[in-house]
Amino acid sequence: MIFGRHSVLKRGCSTWDPTQVPQTEFHSRLDAVRREMARQSLDALVIYGDNYSFADLCYLTNYFPKVRGGIAVVPREGAISLLLNIGSRDVPFAKTLTWVEDVRASNQVGADGAKLLKEKGFEKTRVGLMDSGNGFPLPQLEEMKEALPSVSWQVCDSMIAPQRLVKTARELGAMREAGHLLSDICDGALAFIKQGRKEYEVIADIDRLARDKGAEDIRILAGDKRLNPPSFKQSATLNNHWSLYLAVQHERYWVEAGRTFILSNDAQLQAAYQKTQEMVAQMAAQLKPGGAVAAIDETARHALGEFYSTASLYGFANGIGLNQWEAPFLNEDDAREVGATSVGANTLNANMTLALRVTFETEARIVLFGDSFEVTESGAKSLLGG
Amino acid sequence: MEGQQEFDKRISRGRQAMRDKGLQTLLIYDSGRHNFLRMNYVAYLTDFISVGPETMLVLPLEDRPVLYLSPVWDIPRAQEESWVSEVRPFNQLWSRVPSAPAKVGLIGREAMHVSLHDEITKSLGQTPVNAKDIIENMARCKSDFELERLRRAAEIADAGVTALHDDARPGLKEFELAAIVEHRMRYLGAEDNFGMVVANPHNQALHPPTDRIVQSGDIIIGEITPCIGGLFVQICRTMVLGEPAPAVREKYAILKKGMRLGMDAAKTGAPASDVAAAINDTFIEYGYEQYCRPPFMRVRGHGLGCGSFAPGSLEDGNQTQLEEGMTFIIHPNQYLPETGYLTLGDTVVMTKTKAESLMKSSWDIYVKD
Repeated sequence: MIFGRHSVLKRGCSTWDPTQVPQTEFHSRLDAVRREMARQSLDALVIYGDNYSFADLCYLTNYFPKVRGGIAVVPREGAISLLLNIGSRDVPFAKTLTWVEDVRASNQVGADGAKLLKEKGFEKTRVGLMDSGNGFPLPQLEEMKEALPSVSWQVCDSMIAPQRLVKTARELGAMREAGHLLSDICDGALAFIKQGRKEYEVIADIDRLARDKGAEDIRILAGDKRLNPPSFKQSATLNNHWSLYLAVQHERYWVEAGRTFILSNDAQLQAAYQKTQEMVAQMAAQLKPGGAVAAIDETARHALGEFYSTASLYGFANGIGLNQWEAPFLNEDDAREVGATSVGANTLNANMTLALRVTFETEARIVLFGDSFEVTESGAKSLLGG
Repeated sequence: MEGQQEFDKRISRGRQAMRDKGLQTLLIYDSGRHNFLRMNYVAYLTDFISVGPETMLVLPLEDRPVLYLSPVWDIPRAQEESWVSEVRPFNQLWSRVPSAPAKVGLIGREAMHVSLHDEITKSLGQTPVNAKDIIENMARCKSDFELERLRRAAEIADAGVTALHDDARPGLKEFELAAIVEHRMRYLGAEDNFGMVVANPHNQALHPPTDRIVQSGDIIIGEITPCIGGLFVQICRTMVLGEPAPAVREKYAILKKGMRLGMDAAKTGAPASDVAAAINDTFIEYGYEQYCRPPFMRVRGHGLGCGSFAPGSLEDGNQTQLEEGMTFIIHPNQYLPETGYLTLGDTVVMTKTKAESLMKSSWDIYVKD
């Protein structure tokens, strides 16, 4: 799996346009979750999310934490509440990002979460706890549980995951939009990537391009020997080639791409890059409804030969959407790396979305190509429009 | 890596504190969820800032430290950027933990998820002692090494303010304003930024930018917080597109006065609450007592650099004494009914006697014709 450096604040464009994603979209999601709650005899659900891992929280509320985290309390019947680790002055802005009316501020989400559950009459009930991103700070979680000794807690980390596997038409629309934005950034980056420029200066230009296009968040890793996050220590200048990993979040949804920019006539590099693109195309050919998720890995193994084990360190594929790394995962190790309890699905379905990538490390040089795809009835379709 | 001596010293001090507490091993954890108000303990001891979700430094009292992390492909960067020579995949941690002798301390529990904590406790056969005070005591006051990085970050923050003044104009969207600042700072090497820049004739509060189109007459408020080597500085400034209304100039002058009095109150040895009191008294003098509380403001500043724990929040009741080398932000940011939210603040370092600003930007309101 490829991870970029998590930023301390989601500081890109932060809006919600209800005409694009209306409340009805969230109500239908909520109905499905409540059916599952009823099946599991849960009276309420506590969903934790933070600015690192917000998928489940956002899926139901459209809210994504900008800094720190918070919980949604979802009763089986009645109104949802959001309790967020923000200041009271931040509540009006938070409300612009969600359809949930009851938004509260707290600097102790655990203790105040317990109070909220009591207020709603859940102190002696069966409550599901969903923290699929493993982000609920331990002391806060302990405070919440200690204050509610009569609650019967049920771990529900993967309750929404099956629902999120297959994207709705609106979700696909949002992801295509994010893909087009990313495609523009990849194209625009060409103008910045020139021999002799400092890496962090080029990264600044690419970051600006993404922010000017309205990205909510961005992850950039780049280098010629390995993928590095932006750092004042990485002051190297661009030489013969530069590999670039980009992930952008737009209207809550992530898409990713990998590109290698060859700045010389190095035929070996050009051939290697050509090969990564061919391999991604071969893997993408496996993205068809009814196809086995494992076929992606088998294709990579067959195509990469001796390079397979090194390339597999970066992962070849994972689901992508509200989370940069979500089901389906290729194997248990990949799932475990991001705290997921299982691969999520063994078979592909239409409207699943996946990021595919191939990373070669050869002679101390790194070459990367990757793209994000949706699974359609007629096969894989790039979300970047390529 | 840079600053080998600095990190040798930190490890040596850390081990002394371990001896004092009877700890044989320290486990220092980071979850990759970065937060500028919470310390990154692993980075403090290694100078390595993780990208992955699990990083653990195992620091034995006598033996060599080992850094365990995911993803595996990031191990070479850790080896290059940190002084720790032995870096291993995170999943190998479990072969090390069970052999940890007697008393074990844990730092980073706040960022740890319950299943990992349970697994560690099970492997150790004991609940590790929360030992975060070992590092937080060491990190209260900044060394010359840290101050050098903070000064570099301060120059970058000043450059961000200048960029905003140079390039802000009506017709841009709020997120484009924020991107101006971000770009200049990244271009100078900033690694991250807790940055909010918004524009409105009457701002309610700071928040991440929207797609609102900036208009002539807007008041642009900004909280800009670049990071260098894991160390953050912050600057808060207010700018007006066009000539500010008389009320804006008049009310902004209260912030400036509060800032000056807050700086004057920040004397080495004085309690942190003195700074808050000086600022609050300024607003009270002008009849804004009822606005000296949330939601109209939060605190009058807070610890800054590698977390906010020292001296903590500048607010009533904080009796933490200001010490030489402490770094924090003083910001009399305030919502006032006539103007909306206005911002002004500098990161300061305590010298032998008083607070000195790390920033060079003027405290005056910025006016963009």
